[in-house]
Amino acid sequence: MKSKSTTLKIIVLVVLVMLTCVYLLPIYVMLTNSLKTLPEITQRTYLAFPKIPQFQNYTVALFGSPNFLIPMGKPIINSTIITVTVTLLAAFFGGLGGYYLSRSKSTFSRIIFVLVGIALYMPYQAVIIPLTTITAKSGLANSHFGLILAYLIINIPLASTLMGTFFLSVPRELEEAAQVDGASKIQIFFRIVIPISLPAYASVAILIFTQVWNEFFISLTLSTPRTQTVQVAMAMTEGSTISPYNLQMAASLLTVAVPLLFFLFLGRYFVRGILAGALKG
Amino acid sequence: MISAKIQKRHREGASVAEFLVFTLPLLLFLLILYGTLFWNIYVSMANWVSTAANYTFTGFKWYTYLFHQTRFWVDVQNNLKWLILGVVPTIIAAVLLAYLLELAPFPGLESYVRTLILYPVAMSFVVTGTIWSWMYQPEKGVFNTIIGGLGIHSPFSYVNDPKTATYWLILVFVWQYLGFSVIIIQSSLRTSELQEMVEAATVDGASKLRILLSIIIPNIRSGILVLVSLLLISTLKVFDIVWIVTRGGPGVATDVLATNMIVTAYDMRLASAGAAIGVIIFLMAFIIIIPYTIYALKKWFE
Repeated sequence: MKSKSTTLKIIVLVVLVMLTCVYLLPIYVMLTNSLKTLPEITQRTYLAFPKIPQFQNYTVALFGSPNFLIPMGKPIINSTIITVTVTLLAAFFGGLGGYYLSRSKSTFSRIIFVLVGIALYMPYQAVIIPLTTITAKSGLANSHFGLILAYLIINIPLASTLMGTFFLSVPRELEEAAQVDGASKIQIFFRIVIPISLPAYASVAILIFTQVWNEFFISLTLSTPRTQTVQVAMAMTEGSTISPYNLQMAASLLTVAVPLLFFLFLGRYFVRGILAGALKG
Repeated sequence: MISAKIQKRHREGASVAEFLVFTLPLLLFLLILYGTLFWNIYVSMANWVSTAANYTFTGFKWYTYLFHQTRFWVDVQNNLKWLILGVVPTIIAAVLLAYLLELAPFPGLESYVRTLILYPVAMSFVVTGTIWSWMYQPEKGVFNTIIGGLGIHSPFSYVNDPKTATYWLILVFVWQYLGFSVIIIQSSLRTSELQEMVEAATVDGASKLRILLSIIIPNIRSGILVLVSLLLISTLKVFDIVWIVTRGGPGVATDVLATNMIVTAYDMRLASAGAAIGVIIFLMAFIIIIPYTIYALKKWFE
């Protein structure tokens, strides 16, 4: 559909410049202000460039100081533990569930599919009070398992549909040949299906990682000082007198660093994951 | 005879093992999820009003309580604003941008634009909200500095103005979801049938606008439907942006059901009323998601 018209070129150019400004501005504000000194920040010239870049701001944001009482180090570790565990378990169980949904045509599997479909979009507000009760009663409140459980019940249905979408498109010949040779479904899945599905697992893992890392509502209600996640710590820096803006921006950068690096270096998997999630089947 | 029996028992054993491995884990997690959902529905009809749980049945008492509060109706109005203004402009912008990229006269443009507008999907609303609330500051904020630099005294006080605050919050959402919407539209644009139809229309001398309106849009209906459902659900569940940027303020001007839920259940300790708001959000989500799920079901098992 390429076109050579001049008016079109002008339109595209204008749109391009506008988009570039609108999408780079927030990143520019975050980067430049995270490198400023406190006196520079109090002048409130947010668009100006830092005179001398203050790279030690990141160390302060990570480990805290008398000026910055919400060190991001511990929350980053907490979020890493929770997110990595949820990602691995959800991808594993989601692969199994997705394989079932993609290979069974029974009424039962149709019912499961509908239940999974609704579960994907379950508003957390509709389950949070019982979840709080469960974690408090079972003594999980002060360990990471409470949050891990809460994220698993939402992300296993998601991983199942994403993996299932992929398995639907896998040709059956290999599996049928293995079945003729007497291999069981379980053997086929672990020896044949998993190895050829590793790129799909990577897409799903990146998508779930990003989603869980960025999730705020559940971690706000379920996390305790011991299990505080990175988003909750970040939210505490907002509007509080104990965190100067330059350090708040440095903390923002630390919060987005991991998923943003995933996006920049593994963008292909990212896009594939989003598309699989949106266009199930 | 005997070997057939053994074989049958063997097959039964295999299918039990398959059930345990493939179906049971998913089933268990679904059971917990729907268990908590029904538990929450029961809490909304109980009388839980302090830190200690109280499961005395009270019917729809807390729903009536909510319906008599002006705050609840402010929330509903704000949620409706989110549903309409978070979805319609995003989709129009996404379709136009996706079409423009199809026509793109410059090489390399697409991957540049894709990276540029898609990176927000990797960022949390907590961080985007923090940055945008800076940019929105009425005095010397980033936007007003830019407008002032053009020699105009900015009339905007953004999220500090109760009348327009919600619209400025929705703008952050549109900014964050535009890239996501564009790639979904793009993937439904790129079917070979559609490309052929566009080629044919171009040969016939149809204008670009005409091609967009009478060929492309009718043919990407299902992609648009999917996107509408996804955006509706995301705007319905909106919590993070509001909580971070305004916390529902000024007053309750930007309050939505999700922020009200957490204030009611955890700050005011009215767990039953909070649960009732949760049920209301679920029912709204359910209405949105059912047509989409049926569509997905048909596609999946066809």
